[in-house]
Amino acid sequence: MTPHSYGATLLQIQDVSLEYNGKLVLKGVNAEIKDVIVPGRITGQVVGFIGPSGIGKSSLFRIMAGLEQPTSGRVLLSGAGHPVKAGEVGVVAQNYPLFEHRSVLSNLMLAASRKHDESPKEAHERVVALLNEFDLYEQINHYPMQLSGGQRQRCAILQQILCSDHFILMDEPFSGLDPIMKGKTQDLILKIANMNELNTIIIVSHDIAAASAVSDHLWVMGRDRDADGKVVPGARIVQTYDLIERDLAWRPNIRTEPKFAEFVVEMDELFKTL
Amino acid sequence: MQSGSLFTPNAVVSKQTMRLLITFQVVAVLCFWAVSPFPFLPRPHEVGTSLHDLWFYDNLGIELFTSFTLNLETLLVSTILSLGLAYLNTMPFFRPMVALFGRLRFLSMVGLSFFFTLMTKNGHQLKLSMLVFSVSVFFVTGMADVIACIPKEQYDLAKTLHMGPWRTMWEVVVLGQIDRAFEVLRQNAAIGFLMLTMVEGMSRSGGGIGSLLLNQNRYFHLSAVMAIQLCVLAIGLAQDYSIGVLRRICCPYADLRRAK
Repeated sequence: MTPHSYGATLLQIQDVSLEYNGKLVLKGVNAEIKDVIVPGRITGQVVGFIGPSGIGKSSLFRIMAGLEQPTSGRVLLSGAGHPVKAGEVGVVAQNYPLFEHRSVLSNLMLAASRKHDESPKEAHERVVALLNEFDLYEQINHYPMQLSGGQRQRCAILQQILCSDHFILMDEPFSGLDPIMKGKTQDLILKIANMNELNTIIIVSHDIAAASAVSDHLWVMGRDRDADGKVVPGARIVQTYDLIERDLAWRPNIRTEPKFAEFVVEMDELFKTL
Repeated sequence: MQSGSLFTPNAVVSKQTMRLLITFQVVAVLCFWAVSPFPFLPRPHEVGTSLHDLWFYDNLGIELFTSFTLNLETLLVSTILSLGLAYLNTMPFFRPMVALFGRLRFLSMVGLSFFFTLMTKNGHQLKLSMLVFSVSVFFVTGMADVIACIPKEQYDLAKTLHMGPWRTMWEVVVLGQIDRAFEVLRQNAAIGFLMLTMVEGMSRSGGGIGSLLLNQNRYFHLSAVMAIQLCVLAIGLAQDYSIGVLRRICCPYADLRRAK
């Protein structure tokens, strides 16, 4: 196991509940993300957030992004001192929305102008540097419709990197990807996470293997059952896994290791009970 | 391509095949017209002669110019009015009145002409106001639908980029849909052209092709009627094409979006 310690709390979900038209969707969700410190290297945080389809992952995703208010409870970011607001957390939605009427450069400049409001030259330099780093410079004047799926994904992620501080939420980043693209997306997530010690990426997914392979912690969302085995309304985080403790984090060829396969099977079994 | 696939639903044909099809069908229509068994349908040479006479003796060119400028004026005013109303529709306060305005498209223009006559000072204003009304009620409805169909992710994206409500509206609703606004304009400009001759027929002061058309109709000059209709069609198609060109210049990404 890689030697590590935990620092400050970066994100805290406090007793979040959500009702839609009298129907309980989320019930008392609690979780937190702490800064993982590994001596001698910059290590961001990657949290996998998994659960069966339709359980309320997207609702919690929107609450964490500040795009929706919970019925009760709150989500706090480190140093903010107030419940999360839209724009404080970067959001990469499943279909990678971009402004279709703007070019790649224009989309990114729009995002960069928040931090470099008084210096468009600095904003441009930062955008160009990121485009070069993420192999998108050749597409600088393309419109989003002219990008391939992977290029569009990178562009949407860069837009959120430029705009948000340290948090990025990704909704189903592995959905519909072939194994090679999944691998590239995992590398991209790790690259972004490890750009800054405080960078924190939360991946919402129902792809257990892909999410586990890239995460250092895993939240599993599920619903309780009553004595008769019937599902009780209102989802919550029923299980949290520390993949560092299990020696399943930060390993380049994790997918080939038997203990990873065992973990995925364990999660598959857990899924059947949720 | 297999010959049978021309009659297969959703079959894809090459551009060359489509050009051949268009040429064949246009020639077929012209041949049918030339040898038509219907005695009341003017022959092409009769229409040509009428066109010549209308142009040199009945001021067809001037009447076309009058109608065309009226139509341009209509498009300008109705575009400003309709886009303004459609954008106001994003605010809850204005929604009921914009919805009501769109419903007025069911009203008959003949029944409304009396009110417009009372409200305007001259024939030109009367025709303009009737045309603007006719186009705008459809334009507002079409544009409101376009805005209602904007995906939620676009608004979320604006929020995550720290945009406030007004900036979001500018980016997502105004700039983001400008290519679709051109498309709605294109469709409603055709409606305007359709109404033009009717309105000019209802209010004949100031002339225009509608007035000329009714005069020829009254004396049963079918070849002249057909000549005018062909001119109207040609100008309508030119207008449609011009709006398309304008859209491609202003929104070069629009065709990419359509192709997708």
